[in-house]
Amino acid sequence: MAELRCEQISASYGAEDVLSGVDMVVPDGTLTAILGASGSGKTTLLRVIMGFIAQQSGAVLIGGTVVARAGDMHLPPEKRSVGYVAQEGALYPHLSVAENVLFGLPRRARKASARAFELLELVGLNPRYGARRPHELSGGEQRRVALARALAPRPPLVLLDEPFSGLDAALREDTRAAVLFALAAQGTTAVLVTHDQAEALSMGRKVGVLMAGRLVQTAAPAVLYRRPANLDVAQFVGKAVVLRGRAAAGIVSCPLGDLPLVDRAVAGSVDAMIRPEQIRIQPASARSPASGADHRGVIAKVSARTFYGPDSVVQLQVDGSQTPIPARVLGHEVPGPGEYVELTVAGRVMAYPSLASPLGHAASPEPDALLTGLAPR
Amino acid sequence: MSHATGEARLGAALGAPLSRTLLVICIGVAAMVGLPVVITAIQAFQGGASAAKTAFTGSATPTLFLHTIELAALATPACGGLGLGAAWLVERTRVPGRRIWPLLLVAPLAVPLFVTSYAWATLSSSFTGFWGAAGIVTFSYYPIVFLLVAASLRVMNPALEETARSLGLGAWGTFTRVVLPQLRPALFGGMLLVLLDTLVEFDAFVALKFQTLSVNIYAQYQLGLSAAGAAALSLFSTLICVMVLLGECRLTGRTNYTRIIQGAQRGVVRHRLGRATPVALAGLVLLVAVSLGIPLGLLVHWFAQGGQTAGAPAGIESLWPATVTTVLLGASSGLVAVLLALPVAILAVRHSGRLATTIERSVYLSFALPDLVAAIALAYGASHIVHFLYGTVVLIVLAEAMLFAPFAVVALRGTIGLIDPALEESGRALGLGPVETLWRVTVPLARPGLAAGGVLVFAFVLGDLSTAQVLLPPGLTTLGTQFWADTGTVAYGAAAPYAAVLIVLALLATYVLMSRFGRVRGLDAR
Repeated sequence: MAELRCEQISASYGAEDVLSGVDMVVPDGTLTAILGASGSGKTTLLRVIMGFIAQQSGAVLIGGTVVARAGDMHLPPEKRSVGYVAQEGALYPHLSVAENVLFGLPRRARKASARAFELLELVGLNPRYGARRPHELSGGEQRRVALARALAPRPPLVLLDEPFSGLDAALREDTRAAVLFALAAQGTTAVLVTHDQAEALSMGRKVGVLMAGRLVQTAAPAVLYRRPANLDVAQFVGKAVVLRGRAAAGIVSCPLGDLPLVDRAVAGSVDAMIRPEQIRIQPASARSPASGADHRGVIAKVSARTFYGPDSVVQLQVDGSQTPIPARVLGHEVPGPGEYVELTVAGRVMAYPSLASPLGHAASPEPDALLTGLAPR
Repeated sequence: MSHATGEARLGAALGAPLSRTLLVICIGVAAMVGLPVVITAIQAFQGGASAAKTAFTGSATPTLFLHTIELAALATPACGGLGLGAAWLVERTRVPGRRIWPLLLVAPLAVPLFVTSYAWATLSSSFTGFWGAAGIVTFSYYPIVFLLVAASLRVMNPALEETARSLGLGAWGTFTRVVLPQLRPALFGGMLLVLLDTLVEFDAFVALKFQTLSVNIYAQYQLGLSAAGAAALSLFSTLICVMVLLGECRLTGRTNYTRIIQGAQRGVVRHRLGRATPVALAGLVLLVAVSLGIPLGLLVHWFAQGGQTAGAPAGIESLWPATVTTVLLGASSGLVAVLLALPVAILAVRHSGRLATTIERSVYLSFALPDLVAAIALAYGASHIVHFLYGTVVLIVLAEAMLFAPFAVVALRGTIGLIDPALEESGRALGLGPVETLWRVTVPLARPGLAAGGVLVFAFVLGDLSTAQVLLPPGLTTLGTQFWADTGTVAYGAAAPYAAVLIVLALLATYVLMSRFGRVRGLDAR
C-alpha cells in the first residue's frame, strides 16, 4: 500500500546542516527503526517526512506519490495521511481518552464509541479507559493511547518519535510488544526513531544508523550488529572490543589469537572488532597458568566483575593488551577477580583496514587495544 | 512542634503542603484589597435606608444599570475576539512583521482611557454615547486578552498541534479543536478582566457624556447629593462583580492546563497565510490605526492647534514636576502591587483547592467598586482610623497598588506557572527555607513576570484619574490631573504636552511589558 521513500534529503537550520543526503526506503507494511544519538538529526528527518519542516533538497514519496520535493512541492502535513506519535504522546488534556482516540475521524465517526473500544483493545488497553482523562493514565498507557489515536484514521504510514522514552524497562517491553502488534494488525508501514540500541534492534525489520545527519548504514538488525559498515557504527550499535591485528587469508592475528574473519578479502594491518558476548571463558585453574601448554585459547586473569542478574561482565587481562577486555558471560558460575580463565572467541569477527598510522591512534592511550562501547546497560 | 503538625494536616487536606504563613499573607492581601468595599458598606449603612432609597429611586438607576450591562455584554466578547484573533495571527501564522505587531497591539492598553475618549469625542460627535463608549472600551481593552492569549500560545506544547495536523486537520480545524480549548483559561481570564474593568470604568465615559452606573455615582458625589446614597449605589457594582466572579469559577472549572516546559523548546509550525496575507495585514493595520492612531492623531491635531493660537501654552512649567510625580507614583505603585501579588500568585499556581481559588479570586474584589468610590472609601477610612496616612503619598501608592493588583497577579501567575516545581523542591532539598527558596529560586526565574506585572500596573496608574484626584496630596499634580484640568478649561493646546508625555511613557512601558510578559528567565519559548 504505502512504501516510504526518501531521496537525497538535506535539511539545515541556518548555516548548520542537520540532514545531508539521506536516502531511505521503508517497504510497505514494515517497520524501520532510525537509530541515532541525540542531535544526529533523527527527529528532523521525521519532521521532514511529516511536512512540519521543508527540506532544502531531495524528495519524499509515500506509496509512490511525491508529497514533497524541494523547491517544487510541499504537501501540508494534514494532506499526507501520515500518522504521528509525538514524544510523550501529546494527548489532548481537554479530551477524554476515547475522544482523543477518535480525534482524527470525521465528525460522524467520532460518536462511535465502539470504534474507540476497538482501537483501545488493539493497543492492549482495557476499553474502560475510554472515559478517563489523559492525566489519569500511566506513561505507558498514554503512549498506547497516542498510537491508537494515530492509527484510528488507518494511515498507511505512521511515524513514531521516541515513543518509549521515559518509560521504565518492564513497561517498555510491554509497550513495545503492544505497538508492534497493533502496527502489524493494521499492516501499517512505520518509522520509529530512537536512541536506544536494544529498542531499534528488537523492533525494526531494518535499522538505519543516523550519524551527524547522514544515514551511515541501513540493514537488518542482525546484519547491522554483526557486520557493521565501519567501526563507528560497530561501537554505536553495541559494545565492541577493538584490537589491532594483521589479517591474511581470512584469518586475523590479534592478542586473542588467530580468529576467522567474516570478510575474507580484508588483509594487512586491521582493527579487529569482537562483541563481548563472542568471548567465551572456562576455568583455567586446573592447569598451571604458567605452563601455557596445549590449550586452544588464551589465558587471561580476571581483573573485575560486574553482576547484572542474568549475565555478568568480567574484565580480562590478556598479554598484548594493556587495557582489560570485557566478556559478557551468562549463568551463575562467573569467575571472580584474581582467577585465571581460558578464553576463546566464538564465531567470525569483523576487521576494518587500519586507518593505520601510528599517528591516527596517537591520541588513544593504548595504541594496541581500543576498548570501546557504551556504558553497561 | 504544633506548628509543623498543623501545617501537615492542612496540607494533607489540600493535597499539597500549604504553608500556613503563605495562607495568612494571602488572606491579609485579600482583606486589604476588600477593605474599600467594607468601608463603603459602612458608609451606606450610616446613611440609613432613606438615603439609599432616594439614590435608587431618585435617579435613572435602572437605565444606567442597563447601560452598564449592555456595554459590558458588547465589549467583552468583542475584546475576546480581537485579542484572540490578533494573538493567533502573530503567534501562529507567517504574517509579515511578527516582531513589531505585538508592540503596536499592546500599546493601546497603556494609553490613558481619558486621552482616548477625548480623541474619539473630538473626532466626531457621533462617537459619543453608547457606541462611542463600546468602541473605546473594546479598542483599549482588547490588548488584555491579546497579552494573555499570546503568552499562552507561546508556551503551548507544539506537539499537540502537530499531532492534529498529522490527523488531517488544517489551520481552522487545528485552531477550533485543539488550540482554542487549550486557550480557554487565558481567553476567559482576559475577558473576565475586561468585563470587570468595564463595569467600574468611569473616566472614559465622562468625556463621551455616556451615562453608566459609575458616572452616576460620580455625579452623586460631585453634586453633594448624598455620600451614603452614592455608597449604596456602588454596592450594586460590588454585587455584579461578585456574581461575575462566582459565575466565572463555574465556567472555567478546575481544569489546569499549565504546561511545565521540559527539554529543548522547538518552534511551532506556523501556518502559511498565502493569499489571505493582505487581508490579515489589513486587519492588523486597521486595528492599530483605530486603537493607537486615533489618540496619536488627536495629539498631532492639538499640537497643530496650539501652534496656531500661538503664545506659550499655559501651565507648561508644571510639565516636569507632573512627569516626575507620575513616574514615581507609577513605579512605587507597581512595586507595591507586585509585592502584594507575589504570594497570591504562588498560592494560585502551587495549590489547587477551594481555599486557594477563593483567596486568589478575592483579589479581583478591587474591581468591585468604581475607582473613585474606592478612593473615597480609603480617604474616609484613613481620615477616621489611620489619620497620619491621610493626605500622604503612602496612601495613594497603597490605593493604586490595591486597585491594580489583579493585573500583577495575572502577570505573575503566567510566569510562575511555567516554573517547574522541581526547581523549588531541589532548593528545599539543598537546605533552603521557604523564604530563601522564594528569594533565590522563584524570584530570579520569575523576574520577567515581576517586571511585566509591575509595568502593567505602572501603565494603569498612568491612565488613572479618579484615585489621583481624590488622594493626591495637595500641591502635587500628575500628568493625568493636569491633562484633565486643561481639557476641562478647553485649553487643548496646553493639554497636548501632558498627553504626549503620557503616551511616550505608555509606549516605553509597552516595550518592557511585551519583552517580559509570560516568560521565565533562561527559558525563552522562541
